[in-house]
Amino acid sequence: MAAAAASARDRRRRSRAPAGGAAHAVGIDDGEEQHLNPFLDAAPSASSRVQFRNMASCARWVEETGAAEVVESRGNLWLTTGVTRAGKLYYNIEEIGFLAERGALILLNDKDETIGIDGIYEKLAGGNYGCSWDTFQAYKHLKSLGYIVGRFGVPWTMKHGGTCDTIAPQMNILETDQSLNRVDGVSNDITKLLKKMQIDGISPSFEVYLPNSKFKKSSPGSPCFLLCLLRGKPPSRVELEAVENNFRGIPLKYCHVDNGRVSFLSFDEVTLPSLP
Amino acid sequence: MDLPGPRWKKGKDGKDFAALAAANPMSTIVAELQAKLRDSEAVATLAVHTRDAILEVGKDQAKLLNCASFGRAVESAGAERQWFQLGPEEVFFLCHALKCVAVESENKARMGAPELWDLLASTSEQFPEMYRAYEHLRLKNWVVKSGLQYGAHFVAYRHHPALVHSEFAVIVVPEGKAFGTRCGRMQVWSELLCVLRASGSVAKTLLVLTISTKSSELGSLDCLEQMIVHERTITRWIPQQCREQQDKSCREVSSNEEQEHTSGGVVFSYWGVVLSFTVLSSLLVYKLKF
Repeated sequence: MAAAAASARDRRRRSRAPAGGAAHAVGIDDGEEQHLNPFLDAAPSASSRVQFRNMASCARWVEETGAAEVVESRGNLWLTTGVTRAGKLYYNIEEIGFLAERGALILLNDKDETIGIDGIYEKLAGGNYGCSWDTFQAYKHLKSLGYIVGRFGVPWTMKHGGTCDTIAPQMNILETDQSLNRVDGVSNDITKLLKKMQIDGISPSFEVYLPNSKFKKSSPGSPCFLLCLLRGKPPSRVELEAVENNFRGIPLKYCHVDNGRVSFLSFDEVTLPSLP
Repeated sequence: MDLPGPRWKKGKDGKDFAALAAANPMSTIVAELQAKLRDSEAVATLAVHTRDAILEVGKDQAKLLNCASFGRAVESAGAERQWFQLGPEEVFFLCHALKCVAVESENKARMGAPELWDLLASTSEQFPEMYRAYEHLRLKNWVVKSGLQYGAHFVAYRHHPALVHSEFAVIVVPEGKAFGTRCGRMQVWSELLCVLRASGSVAKTLLVLTISTKSSELGSLDCLEQMIVHERTITRWIPQQCREQQDKSCREVSSNEEQEHTSGGVVFSYWGVVLSFTVLSSLLVYKLKF
């Protein structure tokens, strides 16, 4: 009987085609979860991530804007990461974290001393720069898969080749500097005011675009979807309808982070057809 | 009732890891971890909004944290120091039960165990009973990890997850007035059967830990010792399959009939329920497609 169960599992496993990035969400069999065996004497494989060591970019943290100004840019990660303001490139804290973990960025303080990864994690844990630890996990997950991810409502650049569809009307009144921070944990007065004006509910954290080698910050087009981070309890119908009303026409996805594991969900309103 | 035995994974030599596990009992690993963390005066930092904590450790402690399966390592490019992400039960266990990790809030303020309890309980209603269940299993040297992706609160392993498949999907059910309106889990049949089905489809036995308490309120850390844990499994018995072996209980095998009765009585107020329903409905979709 155990054999029957095992072969049924195998049949399911063989016939399963992971749907896009959702392989984790349907990670059914425990055998799917890859666990490194720490009891073996194998050397840790951290080096597989150190691809950019010789090509690390360099950025200086600017406390007032809660972002880092890129001082030296190497490689071409900047094509899909960071925002441009007045000709300068800025990385926000989740971008800094993602790049630093891969050895692609060195962060400096205003005295040009290196801020190590511990300092970067501290800023994320503190949640004062528009992105907290769990939001960072979601960001990392999508970026690692090649998606292009920007903070919701923060324009990639102030020069536009085309139209920027995603900025909600209220956002146009913001000045360039203040527009750098808006994921969650609101960090300036104007956005605090805006938040009060809106319903206290779910709001998007990121705009997500499909991987695209021809992505242009000056005309990014419409994002593939907006990602809302959910904490606490699952969303109620009322909360879902409220956020859907605010963002008509753009697909919404939701994610929930549980100790570093990110689940992506859609809560789609449907109308079942009446059948004959 | 006889509990099911462990399903050990196999190494590259084709032998299962039972011997490796026997040679490295979890109690020894945890004791070593406790000593090393104490010696280095390890400090974990709580992250805001979420209830996770991050802990920076050296190589030796990282290896022990991995062997005892606490937390998840944060991958970082070629660092000598390693970073771990701990869930709320894990950080509280290391702080209070093992007393080997100090905890700071994000603005560097040290927190004692009572204060940490208050904080974690205030950000999650269910923390008291979840922690009590976690502590109960860990003190028996079971390895306990989040079971959310299987629709359960925890999954319990006999040893490290790389060596053995997890045997139990654990649901924690509080009972009694002290828990107020939280006793909502497993109170409708559709939910119970959903969880049972989800755990069965990943070859785990459903373990229900009921937490009862004599105290009338759960405000502080003191109530922890008053909480009593009762263990019970829920297994399905298939009469068609057991006729030859009368005394042996048979575990459910996923059949081709999908029972998808999800009535309006189910309360989607817990992530475990949402995720277990998505697991089940995805299973149905794949069965229909292939």
